[in-house]
Amino acid sequence: MASRVALKVGGKGKKSGKGGRGGEGKSRTECLKEWTDWSLHKAKVIAHYGFIPLIIVIGMNSDPKPQLYQLLSPV
Amino acid sequence: MAGFPPPGATILGDAAAGKKIDEVGKKKVDYFNLPCPIPFEELQREAIMSLKPELFEGMRFDFTKGLNPKFSLSHSVFMGPMELPSQGAETLKIPTAHYEFGANFIDPKLMLIGRVLTDGRLTARVKCDLTDDLSLKANAQLSNEPNMSHGMVNFDYKGKDYRTQLQLGDGSLFGASYIQSITPHLSMGGEVFWAGQHLKSGVGYAARYENDKMVATGQVASTGMVAMSYVQKVSEKVSLATDFMYNYLSRDVTASVGYDYILRQARLRGKLDSNGCASAFLEERLNMGLNFVLSAEIDHKKSDYKFGFGLTVG
Repeated sequence: MASRVALKVGGKGKKSGKGGRGGEGKSRTECLKEWTDWSLHKAKVIAHYGFIPLIIVIGMNSDPKPQLYQLLSPV
Repeated sequence: MAGFPPPGATILGDAAAGKKIDEVGKKKVDYFNLPCPIPFEELQREAIMSLKPELFEGMRFDFTKGLNPKFSLSHSVFMGPMELPSQGAETLKIPTAHYEFGANFIDPKLMLIGRVLTDGRLTARVKCDLTDDLSLKANAQLSNEPNMSHGMVNFDYKGKDYRTQLQLGDGSLFGASYIQSITPHLSMGGEVFWAGQHLKSGVGYAARYENDKMVATGQVASTGMVAMSYVQKVSEKVSLATDFMYNYLSRDVTASVGYDYILRQARLRGKLDSNGCASAFLEERLNMGLNFVLSAEIDHKKSDYKFGFGLTVG
């Protein structure tokens, strides 16, 4: 970040970053790729922990509404 | 599989009966009103249902509790040896036991099925009808281990006498398929897929001919697979099926013959393979909601004998 500011004083962060890609860390495409990887990873974690609770919530709110004890009892 | 009433049941005599048979036989086919075909991935479903039941080894207990006509929970316990893929001729088996909890929500427009194992692996299936003709299907297997999760999304469009499907999977997997009814009994289709991660792509063609008594299918793919199947419905309770699979790249061939008895209280499926494998699967209804399951698979070539039993409640 510090080197980007030094190269183009007063210019916007992202634009100068793309222009001065040669010696620096991240470019726009790499940022985009990192962002999609991060969001896919978060979506996977949310799906992993939240899918079964989601089915249970949708099921408990459907008609005819079942009681809470029916969720746990084996009868 | 429509049934026509038997012709000739008139009191006018043989000549009139003959003429009526002729009229029924020459009934004009309306090529603009053909029935919608079976989805491409279910092309061989009769053969697969008869010849490939879910054989297992060990003990299985399934309990399904319905809270609602649409919502149910399931608990499943399995104890038995699990096969590991091994390079050599010997089969490696490790005894495992697991408990699986599942929740199902089944609505005409939305179907959600989720199963989670004790080791944290989740199997999720979603089917949603976005409009009358367009439906979305997704399935995923998520696990806590890195790089062991997979997912796939399908978009299905149903036309008047055709169906198309677009498939997107993780690891840049793309697939598309199309199937069209050619006559009231014959449907043909093709598929194309591209797997980015493994750098493989392929094209396949398939055809299916069915009438009241039999179903014959054939499938060819550029991955080297040639598969044909034939199922004959001998009577209301008995079906016989045969299957032939040949890979022209790896010169692998498998043929199998099987039967499927659907009786009032039981369903028995048996199969004999060209790999020296004989298997049988029995599901017997002991009482309302109580089913007893027996599975046997004897592989003479590898000397691998698998027997399983189980109980399904609800």
